[in-house]
Amino acid sequence: MLRYVGERLLQAMIAIFGVLTIVFIVMHLSGDPTLLLVPQGASAEMIADLRRELGFDRPLWVQYVGYLNDLIHLDFGESVVQRVPAIDIVASRLPYTIQLAAGALTVAIGVGIPAGILMATRRGGWLDRVLTAVVVTGQSVPTFLSAILLIFVFAVTLGWLPASGIGGLSNLVMPSIALGALSMSTFARMTRISVADELSKDYVRAARARGLPMPKIIVRHVLRNASIPVISIAALEIGNLLAGAVIIETVFAWPGIGQLAIQSIQARDFLIVQVIVLLISFVYVITAVLADFIYAIVDPRIRLAR
Amino acid sequence: MHEPIRPLLDVSDLTVDIDGARVVDGVSFTVAPGEVMALVGESGCGKSLTAFAMLGLLPSVARRTEGRILLGDRDLATFSERQLRKARGKDISIIFQEPSASLDPLASVGSQIADAYRIHTGASRADAFEKARQMLVDVGIPDPDRRLDQFPFELSGGMCQRIMIAIALICGPRVLVADEPTTALDVTIQAQILDLMKKLVADHGTSIVLITHDMGVVADIADHVAVMYAGRIAEIAPVQDLFDHPAHPYTALLLASVPRLDVAPKADLATIEGSVPTPQEFGPGCHFASRCPLVTDKCRVEQPPLFAQGYGHRSACWHIDRIAEITGMLP
Repeated sequence: MLRYVGERLLQAMIAIFGVLTIVFIVMHLSGDPTLLLVPQGASAEMIADLRRELGFDRPLWVQYVGYLNDLIHLDFGESVVQRVPAIDIVASRLPYTIQLAAGALTVAIGVGIPAGILMATRRGGWLDRVLTAVVVTGQSVPTFLSAILLIFVFAVTLGWLPASGIGGLSNLVMPSIALGALSMSTFARMTRISVADELSKDYVRAARARGLPMPKIIVRHVLRNASIPVISIAALEIGNLLAGAVIIETVFAWPGIGQLAIQSIQARDFLIVQVIVLLISFVYVITAVLADFIYAIVDPRIRLAR
Repeated sequence: MHEPIRPLLDVSDLTVDIDGARVVDGVSFTVAPGEVMALVGESGCGKSLTAFAMLGLLPSVARRTEGRILLGDRDLATFSERQLRKARGKDISIIFQEPSASLDPLASVGSQIADAYRIHTGASRADAFEKARQMLVDVGIPDPDRRLDQFPFELSGGMCQRIMIAIALICGPRVLVADEPTTALDVTIQAQILDLMKKLVADHGTSIVLITHDMGVVADIADHVAVMYAGRIAEIAPVQDLFDHPAHPYTALLLASVPRLDVAPKADLATIEGSVPTPQEFGPGCHFASRCPLVTDKCRVEQPPLFAQGYGHRSACWHIDRIAEITGMLP
């Protein structure tokens, strides 16, 4: 078990190093970032000064080592626009995105997993067909469209919910649904497949043969076995939700890191973009490691393997 | 002469359809207390479906359309799912071909055995685990305390089958249905499991309905044997009688195709030409007609009933008088 944990952590560290390197390469792929920052008509001298100030005149590998060194010391640089540490700006926006992601995840898991279970246990029935239609819809309608439709129906026409911005819980409802819809469909589909697969296994028949009632078999045995692939999906979906927040936050004027990313790209504030990209990448890596740990808790074959 | 023992299990006219095809067709047999009845046949002959139908565990595509399944004086065929659930594991139990797959891989062995006891007795967790421990001793598993905490993947196939037997017997059912219990196991383990089953019959008087395709297993453990072919019983007899005087061409050919250690091999083993017809190919007559060396026109159009051949020996063949011809045809 200890070795399993150690291996996962080592893998995660390698993945994080890979992420850092890729982000560095992508940032420098487009050439000298200085040109993006200077106003139009700036003199060659101004450009050279700024380049020196930002360190872009050094050889690429020196910049790379400096970049890694800064990151190891948790120095993420300053916003070139606002002249305050980039990490502080991102941190001030992060709680809103966490709220939104939590809301969306609640929708995705809270609706998706029960729907998947119902679909699997009532396969071929009317409930399965109705839910399949809902899932396919959630999967095929683009996020920006469903967001606008939600605003049109529930804010503009019915006036039940605020159209945009932050505030109470009611502000969170529509962005959460819009952001969570795609994930919800993914959870529902995966859960359905996984539960249906487990239901066809020999141990279910054997459990029936010893007189266990079906609901008990599902709760005690089937769901636990079926959870393993669903955990993998959950880990991926948390990262996907953060990435999807970019569109949703823009549509709903939600002041999270998604909106910040768009604003920073428009303002060419690349160090903030860099922090956001790193953050989302880390979330992917960390949730993957967490998923590995949860597997070990659920599955004795992993926990007890030597 | 003493009275024949009243059967504990009396299955009659059991019929199972899948998509309109009759895959089990009027199967009848009885099992006395403490007796081992073997249902023998090739894959797909309906023997496992017969077993599943008895416990109401048929897959959803299959439907039991007729038949009585008298266990004592209660007819399981009339039971609701709820009544069946209460009978399963308590009055009649079943073990399967793949013991390792029959256990939940994520739950401890002890919890799975104890669950089977608690569901029928309402015993406390502690009592159920104590009972589970005793059962492990009964089925010959050493170091039961350690085994209770282990998971199926830590145990061998033979060990898992012992666990399945412990689960099946923990509530003391009168009938144990064993569906190919040794097929997935190594030969040496097979013998151990069969010995264990013999011991259980002797100790507890549990009746066993043994589903197998292995004539060696039949010879080793069964008291009576029913040979099934394409959904029907071809011949049913006390085991020694069947081996000594097979009264159906299929049985005779089947026995001739079994390699024997006690007889020097004269030549090649016998084979049965052709293959088992699918339910769609079943004709109105004897299902074995397409492969039978004794076949006549009557066999193809008229289904033979089970004719009495002696005490407890019946066979479904129009030409039992010509059965000796089979032996002449053998290599």
